[in-house]
Amino acid sequence: MLKINIIENNEILLSGRFDAAQEEKAMKAFNEIHETTTINFKDLDYISSSGLGVLLATQKRLSESGHQLKLISMNDHIRDVFRYAGFNMIFEIE
Amino acid sequence: MTVKFQRTLASLEKISQFILEFTRKNKLNDKIVNTITLVVEELFTNAVKYNPENTNDISVNLSMDSDKLIVSIVDYDVEPFDIRQIEAYDFRKKLNERRVGGLGIPLVKKIMDRIDYEYKNRQSKITLEKYLEKEHA
Repeated sequence: MLKINIIENNEILLSGRFDAAQEEKAMKAFNEIHETTTINFKDLDYISSSGLGVLLATQKRLSESGHQLKLISMNDHIRDVFRYAGFNMIFEIE
Repeated sequence: MTVKFQRTLASLEKISQFILEFTRKNKLNDKIVNTITLVVEELFTNAVKYNPENTNDISVNLSMDSDKLIVSIVDYDVEPFDIRQIEAYDFRKKLNERRVGGLGIPLVKKIMDRIDYEYKNRQSKITLEKYLEKEHA
């Protein structure tokens, strides 16, 4: 199960598993993002290509208006998945 | 160790538990747990999405053979789908050149060391191997 919590202005905390079963719910939530936003991964255990797809679609949409997602506090496994997918080159990751 | 899972994305959490149980029993480290979870889930999700009307369960088998972990996924009463034939994906593409979707199978191909495919009597079987020398606990 994926939880998406807005913890303060322009910061979203993800927790749980970001898999294909969560794609629709997540896309709906991410479609509400309209400016540069920090996505905090500290409580996210797992991400699949479906989760990557939601982030990519949002990043593409935001980039059209000069905004972006900034990703922070990933665990090592999720960082590896981003690296495999080449997403470390299209997202700002701290 | 083989388990049949209902053809629905709601099975993903159960698949994750199954992999955790198997990898704990075989004393594998967290890195391989996460890698195998990603690979199995990508293939299972693909099978569910592309054959939504099929009511058959999907089998997932995990086994160890000295220095490698072997994963097999069997889908029943389906058309052939050989993931080895999927075109190479350019992971270095820039944001504006990327399209959303189609990342799962290329990731599986990048992560795993060997992929075999068999199709017989409308059964589709994908077998994947991951060598463990550097990743074993």
